Amino acid sequence: MARFHFHIHEDGRRIADEEGQEFDDNAQVRQEAVATGASIARDAFITGSARRVVVDVHRENVPFLKVSISLEVEDQAAAPSRPTT
Amino acid sequence: MDAEPISDALVRRLRTTSGLTADEEQAIRVLPVTVRSYGANQTIVRDGDRPTECCLIVAGFCLRAKTTSTGHRQILSIHIPGEIPDLQSLHLHELDHDLVSLTDCTLGFISHIALRELHRRWPNVAEIFWRDTLVDAAMFREWIVNVGQRPAPSRLAHIIVELRERLRIIGRVDPDGFEMPLTQEQIGEAMGITAVHANRVIRQLREDNVVELHRGRVTVLNEMKLMELADFDGRYLHQSPSL
Repeated sequence: MARFHFHIHEDGRRIADEEGQEFDDNAQVRQEAVATGASIARDAFITGSARRVVVDVHRENVPFLKVSISLEVEDQAAAPSRPTT
Repeated sequence: MDAEPISDALVRRLRTTSGLTADEEQAIRVLPVTVRSYGANQTIVRDGDRPTECCLIVAGFCLRAKTTSTGHRQILSIHIPGEIPDLQSLHLHELDHDLVSLTDCTLGFISHIALRELHRRWPNVAEIFWRDTLVDAAMFREWIVNVGQRPAPSRLAHIIVELRERLRIIGRVDPDGFEMPLTQEQIGEAMGITAVHANRVIRQLREDNVVELHRGRVTVLNEMKLMELADFDGRYLHQSPSL
């Protein structure tokens, strides 16, 4: 059993995880980090509050794993003539 | 144990929501009830069980949940004193989800035989219980909308406001707050997000001065902000006989 802290970065903002959680399996930590990043990114991207979400996981206060999720939207329509249909 | 306090929250709730009369109230109060104590996080009735009694919450909180084959649990509803979360087992014989104690609980078990007898003698009580299961279904519809469509902070705000409106009926809301004894992990399971994301949402609601959730208790910091965020329209709770 080790204590893991999941610090969240949304664009420049850092939200520290002070309490942390215990895990006995590294695969579970990875799964939790990815699921957390995806779920926070979903909200942040849809509401427009951030374009990049990072889950920065520390194991016993030492860097352990980082999951980064970015939003990229490429506007491919020619600017002046918008399609009418 | 005296029969009266066991049914107190139940009759108080049904008087308000469904216009239970004094005679009907008495018929409920004299039902034979077996009282048992449960610790927190114990499964009361399991998915697949065929119960022969229904479970009335006398004290404490319970939840209903379903778990996927991959082991992910979705909390479906939170239950408070005066509710009979497995009333459906009277007609649907095999339970299709788990009923679990959230906190230490005092539970009153009423046999299906006694409930059927009550319904035969008091058809209006049968209708009131029928109505109760319909409100239960309305709450599930709202839960689906909440989990499927609202962003996480609104989702949590909605769960908080609904719980408060239900606790109010049984007189369990103090001026400074009310109980919501869920851990971060359980809040995550209710909202369909991870415990870490739930923690993030709880902190955001506190930092935005909306609501404080601490040690299983809710303190509202700004009522207007909370109601706006929750997007709450309580009609689906049908908390009066005219609704």
